[in-house]
Amino acid sequence: MIATKITKKTKVTKVFGSNTKAFRSMFFVCFVVTFVFFVVVSAQPTPRRIISLVPALTEMLFAIGAGPQVVAVSTYDVEPPAVRSLPTVGALLDPDTEKIISLRPDLVLTYGSQTDLQAQLTAAKIPFFDYRHGGLDHIMVTMRALGARTGHVDQAEKAAQSLQSAIDAVRHRVAGRPKPRTLLVFGREPGSLRNIYASGGRGFLHDMLVAAGGADVLDDINQESAQISTEVVLARAPDVILEFNSSNRLNDADLKKVVDPWLKLSSVPAVKNKRVIVLLGSGLTVPGPRVAEGIEKMARALHP
Amino acid sequence: MGQSLQVRETPGRRISLSLSAENVSFRYAPGSPLVVDQVSLRLTDGALTGILGPNGSGKTTLLRLLSGTRRPTAGRVLLDDRVLDRMSRREVAQHIAVVPQETELAFEYSAIEIVLMGRHPHLGLFTVEGPADIEIAQQAMASTGTAPVADRLFHQLSGGEKQRVVIAAALAQSPRLLLLDEPTASLDLGYQLEVSTLLKGLNRDRGVTMAVSTHDLNLAAAICRELILMRDGRVIATGATNDVLTPDNVRRLYDVEADVHVHAETGHLTVVPMRRVPR
Amino acid sequence: MNIRRRLLLVVGAFTIFTGAVMVWAPTVGSTDISLARTFDRSIPWESNVDAQIFFVARLPRVLAGAMVGAALAAAGVVLQALLRNPLATPFTLGVSAGGSLGAMLAVTMNLEFGLLGVTSIPLASFAGSLIATAIVYALAASQRRGLSTSVLLLAGVTLNSFFSALILFVQYLADFTEALRAIRWMMGGLDVAGYAPIVAALPFLLLALAAFAVLPRTLNLLSAGTEAAAAKGINVVSAQRLAFFSASLATGAAVSLGGPIGFIGIIVPHLVRLLIGADHRIVLPASTLFGASFLVLCDLAARTLMAPLEIPVGVVTALIGGPFFLWLLVKRS
Repeated sequence: MIATKITKKTKVTKVFGSNTKAFRSMFFVCFVVTFVFFVVVSAQPTPRRIISLVPALTEMLFAIGAGPQVVAVSTYDVEPPAVRSLPTVGALLDPDTEKIISLRPDLVLTYGSQTDLQAQLTAAKIPFFDYRHGGLDHIMVTMRALGARTGHVDQAEKAAQSLQSAIDAVRHRVAGRPKPRTLLVFGREPGSLRNIYASGGRGFLHDMLVAAGGADVLDDINQESAQISTEVVLARAPDVILEFNSSNRLNDADLKKVVDPWLKLSSVPAVKNKRVIVLLGSGLTVPGPRVAEGIEKMARALHP
Repeated sequence: MGQSLQVRETPGRRISLSLSAENVSFRYAPGSPLVVDQVSLRLTDGALTGILGPNGSGKTTLLRLLSGTRRPTAGRVLLDDRVLDRMSRREVAQHIAVVPQETELAFEYSAIEIVLMGRHPHLGLFTVEGPADIEIAQQAMASTGTAPVADRLFHQLSGGEKQRVVIAAALAQSPRLLLLDEPTASLDLGYQLEVSTLLKGLNRDRGVTMAVSTHDLNLAAAICRELILMRDGRVIATGATNDVLTPDNVRRLYDVEADVHVHAETGHLTVVPMRRVPR
Repeated sequence: MNIRRRLLLVVGAFTIFTGAVMVWAPTVGSTDISLARTFDRSIPWESNVDAQIFFVARLPRVLAGAMVGAALAAAGVVLQALLRNPLATPFTLGVSAGGSLGAMLAVTMNLEFGLLGVTSIPLASFAGSLIATAIVYALAASQRRGLSTSVLLLAGVTLNSFFSALILFVQYLADFTEALRAIRWMMGGLDVAGYAPIVAALPFLLLALAAFAVLPRTLNLLSAGTEAAAAKGINVVSAQRLAFFSASLATGAAVSLGGPIGFIGIIVPHLVRLLIGADHRIVLPASTLFGASFLVLCDLAARTLMAPLEIPVGVVTALIGGPFFLWLLVKRS
């Protein structure tokens, strides 16, 4: 070992001659400077002007402390209340590219399917964040990713952990209880039972249902969204039907109108036992920080 | 059940027909020029009259006025002293049949189906053609020589066969009067001869009254006993073919100097155009 | 040749076929049910799943399918004769586009009114069809000389394009959920799960069928052209009016009940004419019957092929329609 070292030193002496020490220091300084320069240049600066086209991501931004950095949101953003005064730039199907670019953002949060918009942002040298819906876990993953991207790593970690604990708390609470066979309906033609859309065995709605202590009657369908017929509802005979409704409040008459069409299927246990439950609120289908509240609502409905 | 042709089939027991136009005029829209200008004519029983004139002289429109499918804007058409306009389409069709210049069908009917459609004016709303109607249709096809093609699809027939089937369909209406619009215009020479012979035979042997509109001078001369000459919507001459078909009248109709003489073999007048003359 | 006998035989055969299909269809589906249990009166209604599947889920669906299929097939025959074009469909003249626009507006404006057990989308759709019919007729009849079929066709095609553009525009303005609901409706669906929509559409369909009953011989005569038809004793303008309005009524009612289900109005008449010729006295009743059974069978496929998922029935008819036309094209050349 020592022999090699002496050899190395000798080599250096041989290469640089008498000014070895000076050259060594210079080499070291150059190396450090280059290294720092490289690190600094490759790391993206913290975005100061963020535009979000995804309501779930907007809520996450505010939850992780990046709220002040948000300059514009999508047309469907209503939470948290702070966003209601911000300019809007369209949404999934109709993003207003001109307006987005004119606001000089340094980060745009987009859906994965908005490839046209992404191409235009790339051409304008504006960085974007690509997002797609996933399962329940994906929410925490996304919050952490956003934290890293927006310079709020610690806060994001805290928010993700607290969301996870809230979800786990509900899971824990309903752990021992029998899981009612549940049909989770999030769309149909109002006033009738046509074109029923329910959650299949995949996706964050399904995960929410499972976390809330329910068993999905459509578990075998490997899709996030399943359009089923009334025959399937009768055949699967769920014990509970949970139906999402985006209104924040419904008076008794309107509530009755929503539930009425289901009464035709009187052999379904959920109908027989009056367990057709309407869950209110637009936040229920947003895979963001409020998902724990949604799960809590569902748990209370399933396990009163 | 449909009416039969019995009355007409027995020679000598004919219901005498007269169709007359009294000063009829027609324009397509207010302010547009008159297509038929104060035409008066009379068709009597058993006549074989030609309406002769250049394209655009109003012949087709006149024929439509005579068959009642258009109302004159002035004057009136009388069928046996009854105003044609006051009669229902159905009733008129029981007396008058029209053979158009060309027939294009939207769907693939067989020849016999086409001919049977001629029984429509005689059938009730929900009546289906009975044996008598089928008999009439078959007779009509026999007299036009189209019986062999009865079950073939119309669009697969030759030009001459098609036209003869359409004539059979008109005959199946048991009409007293047949109006033909350029019946041979789209036919080859051989078929022209076929149809001309047929028409003359129908008039002679079965007493079908006919009016034929055409711009073909030689056809008119070969078939028709009387002629009505039309130009620019007006009648310029009317009378027996031999009297009316003169070089003078040909010039007045077509601005053409022509030679008109009797053909040695057929005995009909033949018109040979020679040169154009200014109007 | 005996026309009466032929008519009775052919129509009789189609009646038996359609009857058999309609009796059989509710007994099969994505779930196995026991017919014995279904008709067992001793089992209380709330406990009889088999009976509910049969009487609530399947039977209304089969009836709706029969009505819509019959209406669209018959309307197709009538419009093809009226426009003298075998490629005409019940949707050619813009009636269904009007119906779809009405439904779109009901979806995106979140209209929620009901009338006699019928919800807003079918009502708005029917209203849209009536308005489209009125516009097309007004345009076509604006000429002095009665009803011009070429103007009718032009007006219809133009209105079709215009309404289709409006539909796209309305969809674009809608939010995601509404757009999804709208698109789903336009793919067609017969899962009525109740008898109210059927009873509501029935009078209109019967009215249209009554008109269709008097049209067949007239349609035969119209095939040769309006002049020829008039010369054979047809009152052309009133015949055309009757054909147009009855076909539009049938189409509007069908679209309001099941959405714009395509291809029935052209496949069925074509197949029937291939089998039995062009005489409308047989083609019209045969197409009406065959259209009913054809759509019921398509819906059977729609609710069983990918069970428990639904395939929209319009997708099934389109998947059959495409190859059908390819085959027709090949056959003709």
